[in-house]
Amino acid sequence: MLSLEDLFVVALVWGIVIILAWFLSRYLLTVFTGAKSRLDRFFLPIENFIYFLAGVDSTEKMGWKEYFKALFYLNIAQAVLAFFILMFQQNLPLNPMHYPGMSWSLAFNTVLSFSSNTNLQHYNGETTLSYLSQMSAIQFLQFTSAATGLAAGVAVLRGFAGKAKTIGNFYFDYVRSLTRVLLPLTFVATIVLIALGVPQSLGGYSSIPTLQRDAYEILYKGPIASLVSIMQLGTNGGGYFGANSAYPLQNPTQISDFFEIGLMMFIPTSILFLFGRMVGDNREGRTLFLAAYVIYGIDLLLAFLPATQIGRGMEVRFGSTASVFWTVTTTAFTTGSVNASLSAFNPVVILTGFFGMLIQAAPGGKGVGAMYLLMYIIVTIFLVGLMAGRTPEYLGIKIEGRDVKLAVAAFLTHPIIILVPTVVAFVIGAEKTIGLTTNSIGFTKVFYEYTTAAANNGSDFLGASANTVFFNVTTGVVMWLGRFLPMLFMLAIADSVAIRKRTPSQGLKTGNLSFVIILVVSIFILTVLTFFPFLVLGPILQFLQGFKTGFGGVVLGL
Amino acid sequence: MKGVKRISTAARLTLISVVICGLIFPLVMTGIGQVALPWQSNGSQVYFENRSIGSELISQNFSAPVFFHPRNNSASGVDPDITLSYATSQIPRIHNATGISESFLNATLQKYRQYTLFFFGTPYVNVLNVNLFLVASYPTIYSPYVQ
Amino acid sequence: MEKSLQWPSIFLDSFKRLNPYVLKNNLVMFITEITFVIVLIMAIDPNLFPIVSMASERIFYSEVALILVITVWFSTLSDSIAEAQVRNTASSLRKMKEQMTAKRLLSSNRSNFEVIQSDQLKKGDLLLINHGEKVPIDSEVLEGIAMVDESLLTGESANVRKSVGSTLLGGSVVTTDTLVARVSVNPDETYVSKLISLVESSSRPKTPNEIALTILIAGFSAIFTIIIVTLLFLGVALNLGIDLAVVIALYVCLLPTTIGALLPAIGISGINRMSVKRIIAKSGKAIEASGDTDSLILDKTGTITRGMRKAVEFVPSGKHTEREVGEAALLSSWDDDTPEGKSIVELAYNLGFVPHAFSSIERSEFEEFSAATRRSSIKMSDSHEFQLPKSGRDILQRRRLRRKFVSGQQQQDLEIVKGAPDAIIDYVKIKPQDFDEKLQTISEDGATIMAVAETGDVIGFIKLRDEVKPGVKEKIKALREMDIEVVMVTGDQPITAGVISKDVGIEDYIAKARPETKYEFVKKEQKEGKIVSMIGDGTNDAPALSAADVGLAMASGTEPAKEAANMVDLESNPSKIIDVVMLGKQILMTRGTVTTFSIANDIAKYFVIVPIMFAALPELGALNLMHLTPHLAVISALIYNALIIPALIPLALRGNAFRPSSTMKLFLKNVTIYGLGGILLPFIAIKLIAILIVILRVAI
Repeated sequence: MLSLEDLFVVALVWGIVIILAWFLSRYLLTVFTGAKSRLDRFFLPIENFIYFLAGVDSTEKMGWKEYFKALFYLNIAQAVLAFFILMFQQNLPLNPMHYPGMSWSLAFNTVLSFSSNTNLQHYNGETTLSYLSQMSAIQFLQFTSAATGLAAGVAVLRGFAGKAKTIGNFYFDYVRSLTRVLLPLTFVATIVLIALGVPQSLGGYSSIPTLQRDAYEILYKGPIASLVSIMQLGTNGGGYFGANSAYPLQNPTQISDFFEIGLMMFIPTSILFLFGRMVGDNREGRTLFLAAYVIYGIDLLLAFLPATQIGRGMEVRFGSTASVFWTVTTTAFTTGSVNASLSAFNPVVILTGFFGMLIQAAPGGKGVGAMYLLMYIIVTIFLVGLMAGRTPEYLGIKIEGRDVKLAVAAFLTHPIIILVPTVVAFVIGAEKTIGLTTNSIGFTKVFYEYTTAAANNGSDFLGASANTVFFNVTTGVVMWLGRFLPMLFMLAIADSVAIRKRTPSQGLKTGNLSFVIILVVSIFILTVLTFFPFLVLGPILQFLQGFKTGFGGVVLGL
Repeated sequence: MKGVKRISTAARLTLISVVICGLIFPLVMTGIGQVALPWQSNGSQVYFENRSIGSELISQNFSAPVFFHPRNNSASGVDPDITLSYATSQIPRIHNATGISESFLNATLQKYRQYTLFFFGTPYVNVLNVNLFLVASYPTIYSPYVQ
Repeated sequence: MEKSLQWPSIFLDSFKRLNPYVLKNNLVMFITEITFVIVLIMAIDPNLFPIVSMASERIFYSEVALILVITVWFSTLSDSIAEAQVRNTASSLRKMKEQMTAKRLLSSNRSNFEVIQSDQLKKGDLLLINHGEKVPIDSEVLEGIAMVDESLLTGESANVRKSVGSTLLGGSVVTTDTLVARVSVNPDETYVSKLISLVESSSRPKTPNEIALTILIAGFSAIFTIIIVTLLFLGVALNLGIDLAVVIALYVCLLPTTIGALLPAIGISGINRMSVKRIIAKSGKAIEASGDTDSLILDKTGTITRGMRKAVEFVPSGKHTEREVGEAALLSSWDDDTPEGKSIVELAYNLGFVPHAFSSIERSEFEEFSAATRRSSIKMSDSHEFQLPKSGRDILQRRRLRRKFVSGQQQQDLEIVKGAPDAIIDYVKIKPQDFDEKLQTISEDGATIMAVAETGDVIGFIKLRDEVKPGVKEKIKALREMDIEVVMVTGDQPITAGVISKDVGIEDYIAKARPETKYEFVKKEQKEGKIVSMIGDGTNDAPALSAADVGLAMASGTEPAKEAANMVDLESNPSKIIDVVMLGKQILMTRGTVTTFSIANDIAKYFVIVPIMFAALPELGALNLMHLTPHLAVISALIYNALIIPALIPLALRGNAFRPSSTMKLFLKNVTIYGLGGILLPFIAIKLIAILIVILRVAI
């Protein structure tokens, strides 16, 4: 049950993040509308130099196909570069530990994972990756995939807002996401994290004799703080360490823990407000914000229902509150970093994690989450909007057959790429090859693996144990499909609505509380309709069985 | 032709991005960290008799009965902390092995007590800090056990 | 008017529609029929489906198969009923179009004609129509004046006067005189033909919303197909003890069968309801657009008001008296044939303002009102005793007899002019001191003012007022409650327009409208993204009618107007545009409610079937909220799923009843009833069905 202390901490973090996100959204508006700003004197020359070097015209208006091609080709190029760095790190500098290169399937999985902002890790970073790989493959892709997601999300919002009559220019959005948003924010966050105890060093890993006689520890000093800051801010989630943010050097204290939770929430939350600003009606942004946060809040309430005690798989310094808060947040924002082992949690917590990832918009990743919210809005408005006695419309845009087709295609992507490989894995018995049993726990783990891949989340049960060709390749493909197909469909809708005539809103009004409620109910219904039987076979069955046999280390107190 | 242009643009922008985000940024941050916050940047190492005995943040292998022991199964595997109740449960063993009074051990735990939610939540202690305090307080008892 | 439906043929038709080749256009029902075939095969030989079926379950499989095929049949039945209704309407419309003989003129000589069948006529042919004969086809009067009975077409009982240039509707009856007319359409192009062909066409093009809805339904079907197929493989791979028939039952329950079954019927019945109202829509798209109307342009005259200004008061000017004005007005209007003229004579007579003796009307020269001069006048001389008739009606009677007059023989000594105030001043050239002030005061309440001048001296004014049609005010209120912006267009002065519009509750009006005003306004509104509906009848309206999203032309209007519009009202009742809007909304709403209801139902069906579908997982019994045994759960859910279709057929055919209120209010109300209700109802209904099955001891 949610205790008063839990509530206080959650409310405190929410309050601070929401207020700061509100101000950030004001800044983001100038960044992405290209409005004049005092910062131009500093940033413009840098950006123009980048455009010059890349040979791009950042002012050219792009259609959805051009926008997507520019985005997709760039991601391919980045993935290829990172692939070679990971494969051949032993021949490259900054490898004081002399770690060998990755296998092709693991490198394939890793680059698809990081370039898609998923950050599913089938390896333990501290014992696998050289400094160069951590910096120029992992951290590099964390920046670029965050910038890609932010750009695509903003382009979709821009199209729906309609003021610009275009979805914009990819290079403009991408470069500005990096120079004006991600780099300055990670700069500050890195310094804060270092101050809180996260190392930032290239001094090599060393074995140190510890206090007790004949005992040693390996101190993994590395460029950790700079990686952790972008992994949280960019809702990437892939850690420097296999244990991710449970590892003390990545997340030393409660303060760093709440700070990192705040980092995950920061940009996705401000994007919701940004939409209202782009539309020119803050109520529309408020609708996205409320819908996302109501779902996120319901997930949190559910997750706090069973009394979780510090036990196996949980870090003492975070306790149960911060562990549950983090786990729900990391799935709701599709970040995927973890500060406790998922096996430590009651199946109810895992169920809320599933909700976060299956919905992807509560509030979802930066940019992309808002994009998914718009997808739900289109489906919802078309599903129920006819009952107003008018052609369903959103922001005065009449929803047409093509919009429904594309939104449904975006929605369909998810069940297909989650359910099909999950079932294939069990049909060919892939779960047995990594030592899973064929029961509700095993099913939950595999189902979670493909869900986290499709949702570009990255938290998982399996970790390095899933480093097999089958899981590396299938999850890799799922991650890219889950990343780029919905993006393509939503960009196509946004591009067409950008120039579509708009009725001065006389019909369905979306900037009010009743619409928020309808949207939230509809999102839950759509998700439950699509995944109910599978959730039943996974966490729900696990819960019902545990009800009889107990949950091991976890005490249930409904 | 357009495809070639797009590929060359992608390649160039990739190189620019990797230089900025994958090299300059982490290197600059490392420089700043090493200059401004060297202790944290290098892993918050604790010194005993002017020698680094590892990071305060990383759990150490305490197996001798005279020390407080960390937990072995937690998520990171190197959880430096234990709950106060688990620590308290170890007091009789340490008392038997060292003869240090239970009240002193209890007081030590209270001195290093922290809470998971700042002022409330579950109380816990950092194992290394507690053991260091014991070593410093009873150097003769502990000298056979330390490096 | 409606014939009762022919049930035997409806049933026959609905069975014919079970043919998979016919059914393939309806995705959901096609899938359902395939599942029926699979379960039927299971019932015949369960061994064909190892692992997922049991030989002991054959009775159960037969029952599932039976319910599945009944589900499909309910769907085809709804189609058949809707189509039968449409055929009924079409046949009643076709009566107007039945074959008749026509007299085609072979030369300009009226006696030189041939008698042929009306379907042999061509556009441009000349017709001779004697009194008592039916007009064989839509045509335009070239010669003659006659009264025509259009009651069969429009329901209006009064005869209509038709003169040169008037439109004759095919099917109407000439009751007086003889007309020569030119055929204006080919027989297969008449509006009635168009309506009938539209109504009867089985391959109606889908409307934009139908297309989008079909896509949504296909999307949901795809999702549920993926779920079911993966679940089936998973069930086998993990050995969860599933039965194919139960999986199929879940599949069909989840498929949006309700909306899938009723969507075609909703569309057909919409067209039917339009036709019953005697409105020809050239496409379903136009009907749908009418529901989306943001801005509705109404002509003041004819739509809001009767279009007949009646004199209500005489106002003297200067030292003149009311009587003087009244008498002069009577004289000036004596031969004025317009409704205004008649009403002035009547008012003057009723007030007793009749001169004792004055020049004979026969000795007068009457100048008719014209748009150019904006006045009418009478010049009189001589002085014959004038016998006062007994009543106002008699005056009108006598006037008709005295239409002929001899002019220019006598010296004229009296001239009375009446007309638009500024036109009168222009004419008499002298403006009394209090003229402007007086005019201002008496026109404040929106009345139309005419000035009266006697031999160059303005003696006073006539106040005229138009009458608002009964019921218009309420309809406008309803429109405004539905967030529709209503704009009144009139050629009147702004003050007059303002008063009338305020009277009926319209906020926006366009006064002093010129012929092109409507077109410009339509374009302006559309540029703002609004959906504009309007009515029109004149050739002047044609550009606006064709630009508007919904253009409703009057059947009595000109050919170009009817060509330009996308709907034609056979009854020529302009205020029916309001009904069109309501009907458009109703169709959209009906589609929406059935869709939402259909999807909302799925939640309950999941909770009924999923807990019992994995025999190997008894723990799931905790989710069995309805406490149903496996067979009972499946059969009850399937029966509910099937029965909900006929239960909603009346709603699909009649449309959602709704009271005009704001879009958001309507929406929230429907969301509550069909969304929330759609989630809750099946829980209760399925349980009740299960209880009934147990009570009736049906073996399952």
